[in-house]
Amino acid sequence: MHDLLLDRPPWYVAGALIAFVVVGLMATINERIGVLGGFSQLVERAEGRSSSLGWKAWFLFGVIGGGALYALATGSWGGRASYAWLTDAIGPVGTGLLLVAGGTLIGFGAKTAGGCTSGNGIGGCGVGSRASYVATASFMATAIAATLLVRWLA
Amino acid sequence: MIRTAAVAFGVVFGFVLSWTGLADPSFIHKMLSLQTAYPYLLMATSIALTLTATRLLARGHARALLTHEPVRWSTLKPERRHVIGGSMFGLGWAMSSACPGPVAAQLGQGFGWGICTALGIFVGVRIYLRREVARARQQTPGLAAQAP
Repeated sequence: MHDLLLDRPPWYVAGALIAFVVVGLMATINERIGVLGGFSQLVERAEGRSSSLGWKAWFLFGVIGGGALYALATGSWGGRASYAWLTDAIGPVGTGLLLVAGGTLIGFGAKTAGGCTSGNGIGGCGVGSRASYVATASFMATAIAATLLVRWLA
Repeated sequence: MIRTAAVAFGVVFGFVLSWTGLADPSFIHKMLSLQTAYPYLLMATSIALTLTATRLLARGHARALLTHEPVRWSTLKPERRHVIGGSMFGLGWAMSSACPGPVAAQLGQGFGWGICTALGIFVGVRIYLRREVARARQQTPGLAAQAP
């Protein structure tokens, strides 16, 4: 079990599991997946724009819990994740600042586009929304172009 | 019940994001450098299955299990904001090699860098919401008088 969880599942298994979540939310509570919406609801609650948390905030808490469950199941608390290529190049302070700036663009940009990789990329595209196709093509193209450009310049 | 379902599906989502490595920035960096096809194939599989499943739900006039409403969704026509917002989001995604779902999973895994990205997301959302309020006030002058 432990080994199974340390190896990446085949992409078609993982894709089916993500679709299970997307379709499951629609089939049980008639809602379309979105993670950015959870962040947004927390901000709206904190600023007193809304008096209670919607389902998206609870979904976000679940995602955090899912990450914790994985770390517990594999004994990998702290994550097996890494920013080694960034910290090697620009140091820890530079990495931290880059992440805050990147996060700010993510928050503002995804709110403007009406969704992030989950809301537009898998949820919106999954129901055939043309706006989501355009948004997804825009963020994929920009992210790939920016990454390749930096690699080429560096 | 709705809250419980949202949390439960969220747990599955966060677990799968962690298991697949999508919450690992070094893997997303490989994805955006076009060194692995895995995340693209995963997304394509998920989209194809969801398109099929939602078509079946619509054809069967399915009702949501917990809310008992007919399952329905809205689709939008593309506007400028989808291109502009999407491009800004893509730039942030490239800078952090993370997006909102994986960032949440990182927080759960105890991956400290996720705090920086999450903080940025909160700031970005806050700026957007403030601008939205300011714009609404400009359009309806009456609102400005009521505001504190």
